[in-house]
Amino acid sequence: MKPRFIIISLTSCSGCISTLISLDIFPQFLERTKVIYFPFILDVENIEDCDIALVEGCISDETEISLLKKVRKHAKKVYALGTCAAFGGILSLSNSKDVSPISTYIEIDGVIPGCPPPSKLFGNFLMRLIENKDTSLSEKILCAGCPLREKMENNFDTEIIKIVPNPDEIFLGEENSDCFLKRGILCLGPITREGCEAKCIKLGLPCEGCMGPVSKDFTSNIINFLSLVNLSKDLKSYEGIFYRFSKPKLRK
Amino acid sequence: MIELLKIVDVCTRVEGHGTIKILVQNDEISNVNFEIGSNRGFERFLVGKKLMDVPKIVSRICGLCYASQSIASCKAIENLYDLAVPEQSILIRYLLLFGELIKSHTMHFFFQSLPDLFQIFGFSQKPFSPYELTRIEPQLTANIYELIKIGNEIERIFGGRSIHLITPIPGGLIYLPSQKNISIARKYFQKATINLEWIIEKFIELFSNHAPPKEFNLPNVMFMSLNNFGNFDRYGGTLKIQENERNLIEFEEKNYSSYFDKDINLRGIDFHFDKSKRFLVGPISRYKITENYEIENINTYLEYFDKSWQNSILFANFLRLLEMFFEIQKGLKILEDPVLNNRTLLPSLDSVKNSEGIGVIEAPRGMLLHHYCVKNNDLIKEAKIFIPTEINISIINEIITRYAKELYNKTGDINLVKKKIQTVIRAFDPCLSCVAH
Repeated sequence: MKPRFIIISLTSCSGCISTLISLDIFPQFLERTKVIYFPFILDVENIEDCDIALVEGCISDETEISLLKKVRKHAKKVYALGTCAAFGGILSLSNSKDVSPISTYIEIDGVIPGCPPPSKLFGNFLMRLIENKDTSLSEKILCAGCPLREKMENNFDTEIIKIVPNPDEIFLGEENSDCFLKRGILCLGPITREGCEAKCIKLGLPCEGCMGPVSKDFTSNIINFLSLVNLSKDLKSYEGIFYRFSKPKLRK
Repeated sequence: MIELLKIVDVCTRVEGHGTIKILVQNDEISNVNFEIGSNRGFERFLVGKKLMDVPKIVSRICGLCYASQSIASCKAIENLYDLAVPEQSILIRYLLLFGELIKSHTMHFFFQSLPDLFQIFGFSQKPFSPYELTRIEPQLTANIYELIKIGNEIERIFGGRSIHLITPIPGGLIYLPSQKNISIARKYFQKATINLEWIIEKFIELFSNHAPPKEFNLPNVMFMSLNNFGNFDRYGGTLKIQENERNLIEFEEKNYSSYFDKDINLRGIDFHFDKSKRFLVGPISRYKITENYEIENINTYLEYFDKSWQNSILFANFLRLLEMFFEIQKGLKILEDPVLNNRTLLPSLDSVKNSEGIGVIEAPRGMLLHHYCVKNNDLIKEAKIFIPTEINISIINEIITRYAKELYNKTGDINLVKKKIQTVIRAFDPCLSCVAH
């Protein structure tokens, strides 16, 4: 029997779904599964029982909570697809909207992190889901496989004054670069899960944390990290980076 | 008097969340409204953000128009700093816009539009699912998946990843393509050319002998797009508004507010220079305003469609294929450009020169404009983002209301009305994530 899938989008940019459709294995995915509800590409009105539900996007209103609970009731397993569903995502920056990850309202069986989820990780995850194999993610932080690891900052004593290098300071090719934290540029690698192949770092930009934390919740990791690094006064009050993909959790 | 509200909760096969509200009074439809989920507040939470952060944040407005969003944002920031962007960066930005367009147009064509076209022109009773399309049109399906993959790979090579690109930053672009990558990209574009020729010919074979139904006809509208001296260009040029062949208004993006601005409560766009007219952006407007495609094949392909198509929103489906074809040819030319290999140092962003910056791009769905004001040198004080679908929404509502009234009068079947008006909405390829920015 082919596993039955439901794929829904809540408050999001549809980027995880467009990533799914552009995966190399997407034709194979359609062939090996039975997608029964996926409004982006299918005209189906009713939600029925399925084996696996993938949920993209965060929760930002009541109707989404009831849709999510309905999907949970009909699905044997539910996975948060992407950083919005897993941690809240980019709208955590919003002061007008109160957004939550889907796990605030339902039990979930796992997350496919990333903004967007890296194609390789995503494709492998789906194949393992279809084959009913273990889908657990790496427990290592980004620094573990960072191309700048040998030049890594261990003491955290450099004052961090920037969130990104000035364009004229970006080196093409990592061979010229030093660990961002040594250069006074904030890099969230030490508190971010690996799995993205350090794409930003290889291109000369620091990690902005889109893969989310390895364990515990996003914010407590950030707070621990902040107590370690020597952050400039200007950056201490700048929420643009620390709340970019998640907000402090409120009890509901 | 009986008032009933019929609601289509989730529009299927469109990008993002939309609902349709149909107001029925005394067994007649009095109004139809296509509504988009609540605003996510990007314009508000951009306030206080550092300029270098902004392109990455606005990319997350949309997972289909991510490159257009971040590049329009970079252009607005470069306008603030009064920066000239290195030629090499501009060429790669073009490639990124091409890759985005290939993916966005192909996904819309295959998953959202083609099932409707088959039904509209009598090839099927109900819209085919992707499963059925794969079975009925295996070669077409294979070509489509390959095109999506090619769009994706172009983004990955030149943008660092497939969406929410890493390489475009204010001041330029942080990537120096290797000869190997240039040659891989060339092979992809060559393959895409073959795929697209096949799809374009298939489209002509299937549909060009039919006349599109009149419910898809556009009312009298003003077409608006970015255009470069008559040439098709989605990165640079001036904005043009065309009412008909005789009358063309041309202006620079910095003067946009003389023609349109945000609606007072930040919902929708107000064309205050002529309130009696409605505006359309996207492939049809680009086609109307382009004088010359510089590619012979495109003119030949266009000749297959007679006048009945020219005024139909369904023609946009064919134009999307031609736009991909055009940009792939242009992409092949860019890949031959020696400037692509120049290792250019990007400019330094020290202090802003202007207090306001404006950047414009033709996104896959039409003109996209970002306008920022700054405070404390590098923080956003105010941001306005003009989304193409916001402009089109009033025409969409007008057409679906007109059509729903007619169809309900004729058939009295509200379920049919619900289904049919969705096909009209899909023909416009609305981007609802962007609208709910």
